[in-house]
Amino acid sequence: MILKVNELSVLMHLLSNKKGLCQIGATKKEIFQLLNIKDKNKNIYFQNLLINLSKYLEPVGLQVRFNPIDSRWFISYDLELSGALSVNPFNDKPKLAATLFTCLVCCLQNNGIGELSEIKTLRNKKDILTDLKELEEMGFIQINKDQGFVRLTPLIGYQLDLEHLFVKLALKLKDKKDD
Amino acid sequence: MTSVDILENLNKKLSDIQEKIASGDINLLDLELVPFFNELKNSLDVINLEKSSNTYKNACDILNQKFEELKNFLGSLNTEKKFVEYLKRNPSETEIFELLCDCWIEPFNIQGLSMDFLQSSRDRLLKGKSSSKIIEHLDKIKSKKIFILEVQKQKFTEKMINFYNQIQSKLPCNFEDVFEDDEKQELIYENFIYLLHLLQAGKIKYQKETNTLYI
Repeated sequence: MILKVNELSVLMHLLSNKKGLCQIGATKKEIFQLLNIKDKNKNIYFQNLLINLSKYLEPVGLQVRFNPIDSRWFISYDLELSGALSVNPFNDKPKLAATLFTCLVCCLQNNGIGELSEIKTLRNKKDILTDLKELEEMGFIQINKDQGFVRLTPLIGYQLDLEHLFVKLALKLKDKKDD
Repeated sequence: MTSVDILENLNKKLSDIQEKIASGDINLLDLELVPFFNELKNSLDVINLEKSSNTYKNACDILNQKFEELKNFLGSLNTEKKFVEYLKRNPSETEIFELLCDCWIEPFNIQGLSMDFLQSSRDRLLKGKSSSKIIEHLDKIKSKKIFILEVQKQKFTEKMINFYNQIQSKLPCNFEDVFEDDEKQELIYENFIYLLHLLQAGKIKYQKETNTLYI
């Protein structure tokens, strides 16, 4: 029991550990190393550990999450609590939110890299560079002006529930289609 | 509402849902089943266990249908292309902002939660933990004797006052004289205790030089 509690404590530490703006939590490999998990059923063991930790965290409004951009597991406040904490980084800035969404869609289409020209076309605005620079300052994207593309940083995976967004968008598109 | 009533109500709801699914009035993806299962869980009772099991089975069938529907739905999505199509429709900035609105999350991190902190907390926890107490049952022995816990009929103070009343007529007298009627050694000890208490309370006084007790 003591070992289990200690493992969960270590896991809690690993998943809530922040190393800079764009790196939170730990990868599966790092967790295996730090918890010294080596046996052949380590994946099942890992899954059970995360499920157990989730059960402990759920009552206090926390969730274990996976960032698909840098493959790191981390802990976040649940959507309800995040909503209550007003964590939207684009409050009063719908323009920036729209540009980030366009970048996200373009990067998804092209293995994580979005061409500036395509973003400009889809965004349907003459000047998007100011928005992009501001997004870069906020840490969401990296701009490569010379080669004409932007790349998403892992930050968006920590701050945006991508799965929830995709389901919402899919349902929105379905509703429009039904109409 | 009794648990049987709740169960009947749930069965009715379930058949309504099934009808609506068949007629296409309900989209399975929009159907919320968690409250249904919660209600079913709360209605569980020994009396209606068998009926509840059937209801549970029927509800699980609907849940399976929902999973299938979701699978089909996700399979039919060509997500990236559809997102591009959505953007090509030129949605307003506000619309996109609202789409993102309830998707923002806040990562949880406490810098103070270091490995050293965790280790010292664990050590403190283990240090303060005393070994658990073992409760052992006593062996029962059958005995033919009847055990009665005897309780004295009179209180100590009452006995002391009785002794005081007995010796009051003798006073003043020598110390030994108050015990002259006591034949048994046990009784002398008992009365001696009463005498000490009476001396302490000031009811009787003692003069050491003449070895006399007086009031």
